[in-house]
Amino acid sequence: MKRTALALALTLAAAGFAPASAQEKLVVQYDCIPNYANWGGVTALYKQKTGVTVPPDPKGSSVALAAIEKEKDNPVADTAYYSGAIGFVAAQKGLHQPYKPKGWEKIPADLKDPAGLWWTVHTGTIAFVVNTSALGGAPVPRSWADLLKPEYRGKVAYDDPTWGGTSFTLVYGVNALFGGDEKNFRPGLDYFRKLDANVLSYPRESVYNSVLRGEVPIWINADGNGYKMKYADGGPIEIVLPSEGTFSMPLVMGMVRGAPHPEETRRYLDWLLTPEAQAEFSKGFFRPIVEGTMPADVAAKFLGPGEYRRSRNLDLAKMAAASEALKRAWLDEIRRAR
Amino acid sequence: MRRPVAPTVRRLIGSSARRLIGPSASRPVGGSAAWTAPAALFLFAAFVVPGAALLRAASRGSARGLLAELVLVWTRPHTLRAFANGVGLSAAVSVAAMILCLAPARLLAARRFRGRGTARLLLSLPLAFSGVIVGFLAIVMLGRVGFVPAVSRALFGRAFGAGLAYALPGLFLAYLFFEIPRAVLALEAAFAGMDPELDAAARSLGARRFERFRRITLPELRPALAGTFATTFAVSLGSYGAALILSRRFSVLPVEIYQEFTAFGNDAGACAMAIWLAGVSALVSGLAAREAARA
Repeated sequence: MKRTALALALTLAAAGFAPASAQEKLVVQYDCIPNYANWGGVTALYKQKTGVTVPPDPKGSSVALAAIEKEKDNPVADTAYYSGAIGFVAAQKGLHQPYKPKGWEKIPADLKDPAGLWWTVHTGTIAFVVNTSALGGAPVPRSWADLLKPEYRGKVAYDDPTWGGTSFTLVYGVNALFGGDEKNFRPGLDYFRKLDANVLSYPRESVYNSVLRGEVPIWINADGNGYKMKYADGGPIEIVLPSEGTFSMPLVMGMVRGAPHPEETRRYLDWLLTPEAQAEFSKGFFRPIVEGTMPADVAAKFLGPGEYRRSRNLDLAKMAAASEALKRAWLDEIRRAR
Repeated sequence: MRRPVAPTVRRLIGSSARRLIGPSASRPVGGSAAWTAPAALFLFAAFVVPGAALLRAASRGSARGLLAELVLVWTRPHTLRAFANGVGLSAAVSVAAMILCLAPARLLAARRFRGRGTARLLLSLPLAFSGVIVGFLAIVMLGRVGFVPAVSRALFGRAFGAGLAYALPGLFLAYLFFEIPRAVLALEAAFAGMDPELDAAARSLGARRFERFRRITLPELRPALAGTFATTFAVSLGSYGAALILSRRFSVLPVEIYQEFTAFGNDAGACAMAIWLAGVSALVSGLAAREAARA
């Protein structure tokens, strides 16, 4: 009997019931990828200023949404960061609680929820991020049509849209560009089916470093990630806004319903809209939502406003309504095609 | 001259097998019952509890729901395909791993040579890597700008193997990478437990090398081979990291489970697939155990 008790005690000790370091302050943000929108720099700055830790989190928007939904009764996350449409879905599903962070009035009305269930922290634009040294002599593609040419065989990658919201925006946007809508996915799926012949992989993790290494020569993703590769990492990178048109993407946040650290979370969400945090985002080349916070030297590195005139806004409510059906359709027709 | 070998050896094998799985296994050790408590508790926490949760999630609360969900799994052609893919790949990898590891396992068991410890250490290293890391390794070696194509371009002017990582051969090699060490280490123990006198006796009776391998080594290794196959097969069947990173289109069941769970929050569907996966793994292990016991 004594022996049994001893063994049991040992087991419990081994299972790690040591008290957690109680004093560390924490805000849990789902989808906090260090190489995306400079979240690494932003969270490091916040830690340095306040001592509060916001750990990195590798989930893409869609995965973050699914996780928060699953943990609905016992939330782990305090807040989450999404591509607009996915954040909209999360709010619609009742996973967020209303909060209007300080600086709310500086966000344009069409880029926030009137009830405070989500709001935009910065925006990006879908672009080709091209590693010019990895093209094997082929010219830099300029258009969606160019990407279908045989010289790009095995050189194109875009994230699995069931994983990441950026790619969901891409798939929805291309469909809209070629004449589809939230009910009719045919034009987009036809395009991506043709593109499939040139696709190297549909990543379900960040391939930022693979693009820099030249493993992935053409990555269809947010423009800011390309600018960062070019200017912060000095890679042989060119950013292309396709000639037929492209899409701007609001990146939004919301406060999770039942957030375990509500006070810390509100303070953190307030801070993200301060000029300081907004400028830090812009170091990752995402456009701050608060006007006039982007440093001039960063602004000068973007392609000219003439190029960005080809970018259009997408209707988040319609995108949200199409999200599950479009993801399923993409899986069936592209990833699972024979 | 060859005829008499078989019966003699068979008799010898019978006795050695008895020696191998003899009564020593059931000798009681004082106080061991108490010390099984940690393992039992662990098993409960790591297997029984999640297993029950799995059944509950798949059933959505009723036995009929469970049954419906379990049947529904097989109505989706892509699930069927992913399952067949996984079984085929795992079987092929397990067979290849066992063939490739026979010689090194025997060498490690039979000889004391310099660097033997290092060789075993290096061999056990891949066991510590997760599938995701093995996937990245495959890309570093066999990606578009991987190590192998770079070296081959420098040597032969052609980038052999470029992009292979994303195709089926790349996935096969990635799986082989973590199954070979498992097979070598498992079979090394079996080789070490073999009776060298058997081989010597057969040799003195004039049996050639291949015949000794076929009639002595293989039969004696059969339980170990069956056990090794079961382990490598089950590990491959359940592995998802490498496939998640590498495969563009070729899918396996664990990846489908991951996708249903993370991308769509479809707990019931994901859990139903997981139950089938666990069932098949258990079935293969059971068959292997029977095979091992019969030998």
